[in-house]
Amino acid sequence: MTGTPPPAEPRRGPRRQPSLSSRLRQTLVIVRKELRDAFRDRRALFSIFFGAIFFPIVITVMMNRVADRARDAEHLTIPVAGAENAPALIEWLEGQDGVSIAEAPANPEAAVEDKSVDVVLIIPKNFGERFSASRAAQVRIVSDSSNSTAQPAAQRVRQLIAVYSAQIASLRLIARGVSPSIGNPLQVLEIEVSSAQQRAAAVLSFIPLMLMIAAFTGGMQIATDSTAGERERGSLEPLLVNPVARGVLVSGKWLAAACAAMLSVGLTAALSVAQLRFVPLQDLGIRFSLGPHEVLGMLAAILPLCPLTAAVQAYIGTYARSFKEAQSYMGVLISVMMLPALLSSLYPIADRVWMYPIPVIGQYLLLTAFLGGRGPGILPFALSAGAALLLAIVFVKITTRLFRNERIIFAR
Amino acid sequence: MITVDCVHKRFGTVHAVNGVSFTAGNGQVTGLLGPNGAGKTTTLRMLYTLMRPDHGRIQVDDVDAVADPQGAQARLGVLPDGFGLYPRLTAREHIRYYGELHGLSGRALDARADELFDLLDMQGIADRRTAGFSHGERTKVAIARALVHDPANVLFDEPTNGLDVMSTRAVREIIRRLRDQGRCVLFSSHVMQEVSALCDSIVVIASGRVAAKGTLDDLRRLSGQSNLEDAFVTLAGLNRERPTA
Repeated sequence: MTGTPPPAEPRRGPRRQPSLSSRLRQTLVIVRKELRDAFRDRRALFSIFFGAIFFPIVITVMMNRVADRARDAEHLTIPVAGAENAPALIEWLEGQDGVSIAEAPANPEAAVEDKSVDVVLIIPKNFGERFSASRAAQVRIVSDSSNSTAQPAAQRVRQLIAVYSAQIASLRLIARGVSPSIGNPLQVLEIEVSSAQQRAAAVLSFIPLMLMIAAFTGGMQIATDSTAGERERGSLEPLLVNPVARGVLVSGKWLAAACAAMLSVGLTAALSVAQLRFVPLQDLGIRFSLGPHEVLGMLAAILPLCPLTAAVQAYIGTYARSFKEAQSYMGVLISVMMLPALLSSLYPIADRVWMYPIPVIGQYLLLTAFLGGRGPGILPFALSAGAALLLAIVFVKITTRLFRNERIIFAR
Repeated sequence: MITVDCVHKRFGTVHAVNGVSFTAGNGQVTGLLGPNGAGKTTTLRMLYTLMRPDHGRIQVDDVDAVADPQGAQARLGVLPDGFGLYPRLTAREHIRYYGELHGLSGRALDARADELFDLLDMQGIADRRTAGFSHGERTKVAIARALVHDPANVLFDEPTNGLDVMSTRAVREIIRRLRDQGRCVLFSSHVMQEVSALCDSIVVIASGRVAAKGTLDDLRRLSGQSNLEDAFVTLAGLNRERPTA
């Protein structure tokens, strides 16, 4: 104790406005306290690091599975029964890229049925005889259409046989002095519009989803614990007795939650991208590179969403009557965040300029664009970031108003 | 020095505080005595500016607490009715947090924290997290952080509620020391013995009004009762409100 209290210097007149620097210093004091508190809280740590730990594992497992299947389809082994009946066909098949011929099992139907082979090609004894006579020679393809993993192999065999058949038909027409195009009144040319990187984006479309979830869960615990939690444990009333403007108080709590969300997004992005280097993407036929340019672009797209999620969470935490109630609102909100990603897999979203300022949808479009290897322009960036930050400030303002409400402070 | 002048506060149809006026002087302990629900906590909340009075004036030293809440708060050290701690922070971190919010920092703040640990005899728990603290230890942390900015005026809302004998004695000792340092100490209680043992001046509140005020002897004289408890019951009008009791 200093002995005597400081003398009360006489002061009257208008209300003193605290300087900007003292407001800033108080804000930082609150941010530091909330972050220190959170880093000792197992639940908060979990919500920050959940994405960074969990999602790269999911990526690796899923991508490896997809890659394995793609590899299997590329190297096609066709079990053939009666190969000796059509030596020319077998020779042609063996000459195709990635195709090899194997001895068929004794009972082809049973083997396909019990899934020990995906497909069996049967060439009957009379094949050569009918073929030479230019009559339709029969081959049988045994497959199980209810077995979806066997479909690519069966499809491939069907295509190979069709190609062979068409080639033979053309040769026969030429031999008779007829142009082969007479037999093909229509020619179908399939034009694939998506670039290889866009196909990669389809495969990797859950990266935006992951970053969205990280942006939401990262700050959730801090935002709820420092509002609903603060009131529930009775530490709000003594805190409000300190000479701190309510706006400063809310800003501090909001910034702490936003920092945690950004940290979570950054870690999730960094670890996921690092992890992608160990995924055999080239086996998927994907020429996919997430260079520093793409990663920075994605971070620039998603990071402005973090202040908004934190502000909304702080508002909900303040408005809710209890920590539990706040948590149940959070569950609803996170499904809203995931909606664009889920819907776009059903109904592809064509990006229009007016969509960019819509929070979550704007960020989602930017992320998908980057994954597709198309860097969006400055305008979509500015629109989505600007709208998110503006809305974040609105939510901070209305949360500040709640903090001025006696009924909210004293838990109604 | 705290001056309350004809303060009113309504919650819906309930007139919780109905024209309360009193003065709490420096170097004095002023007791706010009243039964549960009399309006003590609401009055104190208006004093430390978490509630805004519907009418009336409140002065803390020479600051108008209604017009300049933060100015008043800078001069107040408050132990509210409910004081939650942060279970993951240590006692020292609690005190540093509030100190920093008051603009203290660095060595001055460290020195002030150690001073408070000495005063409240809590050196042993200073660097432990508060999660497992006893009620007495928690009260000490809450008092220490309320005093970190060396306030000239101290408000305690039922500080000894739920405390054991030794902790109650410690809190009373702190209140006496704060008074001896020349501060204005205002505390609320519904415990007669406590008020009579500590207070230089007593304000009896009942049903949102000041029923009586003065020294202990003044109150005895006013009520015509020599026993303090009888004096309180008479002054607060409790015997009239419950005729069958």
